[in-house]
Amino acid sequence: MLKVLDSAVPIPCWSCSIGHNDSTLFCPHCSKIQPPPGGNYFSVFGLEPRLNLDLPALEHEFHRLSRKVHPDRFARAGENERQWSLADTALLNDAYRTLKDPLHRTEYLLKLEGAEIGEEFAAPAGRGAENGKDRKDPSRVPADLLEEVFELNMQLEEMRMARKMGEEDPALQASLEQAKRKFDGLLVEVDQNLHIEWQAWDEGDAAARKRAQKTMLALLDRRRYLSNLVRDVTETLGA
Amino acid sequence: MAYSDKVIDHYNNPRNVGQLDKSSTEVGTGLVGAPECGDVMRLQIRVNPETQVIEEAKFKTFGCGSAIASSSLATEWIKGRTVDDALAIKNTDIVKELSLPPVKIHCSVLAEDAIRAAIGDWKKKNSVAETADAAAVAH
Repeated sequence: MLKVLDSAVPIPCWSCSIGHNDSTLFCPHCSKIQPPPGGNYFSVFGLEPRLNLDLPALEHEFHRLSRKVHPDRFARAGENERQWSLADTALLNDAYRTLKDPLHRTEYLLKLEGAEIGEEFAAPAGRGAENGKDRKDPSRVPADLLEEVFELNMQLEEMRMARKMGEEDPALQASLEQAKRKFDGLLVEVDQNLHIEWQAWDEGDAAARKRAQKTMLALLDRRRYLSNLVRDVTETLGA
Repeated sequence: MAYSDKVIDHYNNPRNVGQLDKSSTEVGTGLVGAPECGDVMRLQIRVNPETQVIEEAKFKTFGCGSAIASSSLATEWIKGRTVDDALAIKNTDIVKELSLPPVKIHCSVLAEDAIRAAIGDWKKKNSVAETADAAAVAH
């Protein structure tokens, strides 16, 4: 995780002592490599946080910066500079891997905005139930899908049992294939809705962004649920 | 991460797996899910209309060992209790009994929610009894 510093405060270059922005990898004055930057994965590439990214441009910038910080270039440099080039290389790899993937990028941006994402925060009726905090946000459960999800799981179990006994059940197989098509379709729908929210976030004011963030969190939950299901169905059908 | 012995026991020998007649007025059904892990849990109760005691409880859970153990334990605990008593069960009780680690706490929350949902469904079906009962408590 990156250290979060106020990038508006200039940091003096260790080599030429002229102050520079903390999110830069190299001193703009003497071109020496700097300690790993503060800020976030976007600022490493000189970008404002946003969801619609020019991916070819990002890739180009990633390659350009990776070449500049490549440890081979610092083989004969001082100990600090060698360490920083290693740290920058790792940072660039993490940043690029996160930003190029639409879902990782969305999750990362939401985390930057303070969202709690991940199994450790999971709680069906809201988080913090253990320490007595108020439960909130029950909307995170895709309740409209519960019945179907439960049914699908029953069929999957039946299918696995039948397989174990060496039996084939064409009707069950067909029904599972149909369910898979349906859930695949729902996934596409979720991704389309995510794109709409990306636009809303990128172009919106603070209030619009808040609304988009809330919607995106719900969409990501739904997506996770759906993709887990599709994975299970695919595994069972392919077994 | 290692599961506690109690989780493993409930996982290997789940209590009260099964299904009750959803359409019966004595039966309440709770269906809940956790989007993060894809777990789904169905918990059903059959309540004696005279005594409001939960005489039978069944569950079916698709999920990890902790989710199965949490719902298995939940059905064990609510059987023989009155509806109001069953509502007093907190997810933290389940966490303690099963020694669930922090990342699995949501499984216990799911089980508590399933109890509440099942009782809520039963109350909805028997709305008259519920208001009478609530009135009796209020006076």
